[in-house]
Amino acid sequence: MKQTFRYDQTSCRLQLEGLPDVSVGHSGAVIGILTGWSLQWTGRPELEGRKEHLMALMQVVLPYARQLISGVDRPVGGADLPVEIRGNSGNAASDRGNSGGGHRLQLRSSQPDTPPLEVLLDDAELADLVRVLDQVRLDGRVTLSWEMPDPQPLRTRELLERIPLRRRLAAPLGGVVVLAVSAGLGWLVPPPAPLKPVAPAERAAPAAANEAPVASPP
Amino acid sequence: MVQTLPVQHPDTLPVGGVPLPRRGVERLDLMLLAVEALDLNGGEAMVWMSEQLGFSGLFPNRVELWKRRCHNPLRRNTRRGSLDEAETDALIRILCALADRLYPMLRALLSQAEPEPLSRQRWALFEARLAELLNERMNPRRGGVQKLLDPQAGADQRRRLIQALALGAGPGGFERMRASLRDAAP
Repeated sequence: MKQTFRYDQTSCRLQLEGLPDVSVGHSGAVIGILTGWSLQWTGRPELEGRKEHLMALMQVVLPYARQLISGVDRPVGGADLPVEIRGNSGNAASDRGNSGGGHRLQLRSSQPDTPPLEVLLDDAELADLVRVLDQVRLDGRVTLSWEMPDPQPLRTRELLERIPLRRRLAAPLGGVVVLAVSAGLGWLVPPPAPLKPVAPAERAAPAAANEAPVASPP
Repeated sequence: MVQTLPVQHPDTLPVGGVPLPRRGVERLDLMLLAVEALDLNGGEAMVWMSEQLGFSGLFPNRVELWKRRCHNPLRRNTRRGSLDEAETDALIRILCALADRLYPMLRALLSQAEPEPLSRQRWALFEARLAELLNERMNPRRGGVQKLLDPQAGADQRRRLIQALALGAGPGGFERMRASLRDAAP
């Protein structure tokens, strides 16, 4: 018997359709075989696809959300994957990072000659999407394997990426400039003349000149 | 047949065995403070949520809960030592559950579809309340506290606090939040 599960949030609704996998003993309200899914957004085209597409969406959106909690908005996905998400800050050197700038979700169709679909999400819509995907992933009635790695702490190098390159380079570059200027100024100061060796006679003469003058008789 | 669902929480925890780093303790307490700034009864809600989640053994009363939060080095009266894993996990679970409860408010703050004056008014209210709590409980000589209190320089950080709460609010939020608070020191 066909099953339909629906997961709702304010800006989106995800609907799964499938069947219980009787070969592994499923019965009743369980989806073991996914026949299709659809994601409806408010004011945007509806997305549909197979299990692989939903998995690709999860594998990109959830790690991106994980990074955002740490303040890192590095793009996830790529040209070789059907889904990609990146911050909409535009300029990577922006001091404000992606805060409030939104997120650009790009979905590439497997159909030839179909241009990719780009969806611009604000922070609230991204949070809704993450909640919906979490609900599906953790729903005990959906017995599909999503192949999602556990969230991991970020390494120092990954965290440094959240600081704009300009700001990261400012301190070392400033140090190099100060060192170069100091060295340049040092070269401008003339070196002191070397001391000439003084002969013993010359050394005695000033000593005699320093003696108190003897008063001459009138 | 259309059904909506009750979501189960994962029992498996991906990372563990090490105490939360200093920076993680700071962020955890700041996010709990942000929850208090959003909810005037946040302190009470925290105690209530702790009981609801079955942490009465770890935090038998509000004083014990407050003492654990005082391990934040940014506090005026900070406590030495470190929190053990069970305590930090419990605090993170309480934080995620409170964020889930406040999700409509978090969403309203983050949404760009909201009318601009209303959104500005909500942010002003949150920021005023957060500044009040920061001045009351945190050490104002700390650079991190000064930055968070700065109307311009701290705006980005305050928004990130709200964004982190929103993304940690869902059923999978605990795992994400826990991993994030264990990030390496930058």
